Amino acid sequence: MTTLRYVLRDTLRLVIHHWVLGMLTLITAGVMLWVLGVTTLLSLNLQTLLSQLESELAVQAYLVKDNTLDVEAVARKIQALEYVYTVKAFSPADSLAKLQQKMGSQSRALEMLGDNPIPWNFEIHVNSATDVEPLVQALKSMPEVDDVVYAGLVVKRISALSRVSSRGAWVMFVLAVIITALVVYNTIHISLYSRREEIGAMYLVGATRAYIATPFILEGTLLAFFGALLAGGGIIGAYFPGVEMIRENLPLLANVIITDKMVIWRFCGLLAGFGATLGWVCSYLVVSRFINSITRPE
Amino acid sequence: MNINFSGVSKIFHPDIAALVDVSVNIEQGEFVYVVGQTGSGKSTFLKLITRELLPTRGVVSVGGHDMKRMKASDVPYYRRDVGLVAQDFRLIPSLTVYENIAFVMEAMSVPKRIVAERAKDVINQVGLWRRKSMRPAQLSGGEQQRVAIARALANSPSLFIADEPTGNLDFHTSADVMKILFTINAAGVTVVMSTHNQAIVNASRQRVLELDGGRLIRDEKGGTYSG
Repeated sequence: MTTLRYVLRDTLRLVIHHWVLGMLTLITAGVMLWVLGVTTLLSLNLQTLLSQLESELAVQAYLVKDNTLDVEAVARKIQALEYVYTVKAFSPADSLAKLQQKMGSQSRALEMLGDNPIPWNFEIHVNSATDVEPLVQALKSMPEVDDVVYAGLVVKRISALSRVSSRGAWVMFVLAVIITALVVYNTIHISLYSRREEIGAMYLVGATRAYIATPFILEGTLLAFFGALLAGGGIIGAYFPGVEMIRENLPLLANVIITDKMVIWRFCGLLAGFGATLGWVCSYLVVSRFINSITRPE
Repeated sequence: MNINFSGVSKIFHPDIAALVDVSVNIEQGEFVYVVGQTGSGKSTFLKLITRELLPTRGVVSVGGHDMKRMKASDVPYYRRDVGLVAQDFRLIPSLTVYENIAFVMEAMSVPKRIVAERAKDVINQVGLWRRKSMRPAQLSGGEQQRVAIARALANSPSLFIADEPTGNLDFHTSADVMKILFTINAAGVTVVMSTHNQAIVNASRQRVLELDGGRLIRDEKGGTYSG
């Protein structure tokens, strides 16, 4: 109880003593974590959108016209390919009916073709847009397959966008972590440096390293935690009006982006936890190094 | 707590010998003056006991603990049994007199009530109760010295180390400080005090260890010091 009282009192003393520096750290951590949070949310939304587009991507494989062909065996062979998510077979009659339905009033033109020219074919869905190209190559190398039709350019663009989006999110994540870590590290180092003689005196009269270190670690953790709360507030303040704006102007996107308030609140909670952990790790590292250096006997 | 130095040398970088081949044994309950000119190695001798320094050669053993082999995690617990009055006081500037003294007990998780009683007791012992709410910077050198003594007494140590405790004090204040040290010693606490004040050494005739250029040149019981 005595120790806890000391730790809380000393942490408060540290925060008050370096309040300008503390505020700067809190604001910088807040801004960086806000950027991190917004980037993560944007990336998550983009990933959701891309996933939806990817799930709608289909490769159409047309089989050779051969009455002796075992269609079920070919379907099993395609299903066994590693990129394949689902395979749906269409008979020539089903395919023609589908085509007629698509063409509507112009479907009579199909009658001019005489015999149904469409062979057995498969509609194949993949797990990810990046799987389309290798799947197409695999299908083309199968002797049972006559032709493969797919939206090549769309697939390439979606794949590229997906890669850029996740790489961008990672770059932002790393940058935000480094900058937040550096400002917390620097603040705690200044706190420690300004009290180096005091720390030496504490150690000399029998205070353990943990006892000396805890208020400094708590100071760093609290600054980063409150910075993260600030960032969370900023995200909530910006995200929901943004969602409303998208609903009004781009209603198609409104069904794809994350609109559940609970999810955003939880995300901000996670961000606060992440901020506190980051603050704790940085403070722990700087305090350990500093206390080791000034308490080591010559 | 007994102290044993066996062939102890301390060489500072690059090649400055602060202590050379010192062997000495101090028994529990003794009062020992460590005397010598400035730069003779007095502070190094004391810092080896408090483990602020480690010997370059030889063994320093305090209460059976080899200082060189002591684990870093055990040092705070060892120091709680050693009362230290440093030359520069080493008080915590942001804390009041009372808080400076309470701190050493709080660090040991002593209950608040006992901290309050003991702090009041030792502050009264050095006659500073009326100054308990002041910070070190608001006190005179002599008063700061007395706060350092009170702090060193707070944990009822079995070894008391004082590095020039009367160095900055006038005659009367020095006499008061010495009275406190003799009282502590009378209670069975080993006291090792460095000084170059001849009057103090000669007035009490305790054991004297004289250092010169880092070497122990005299170890005399009931000794004097002529500077």
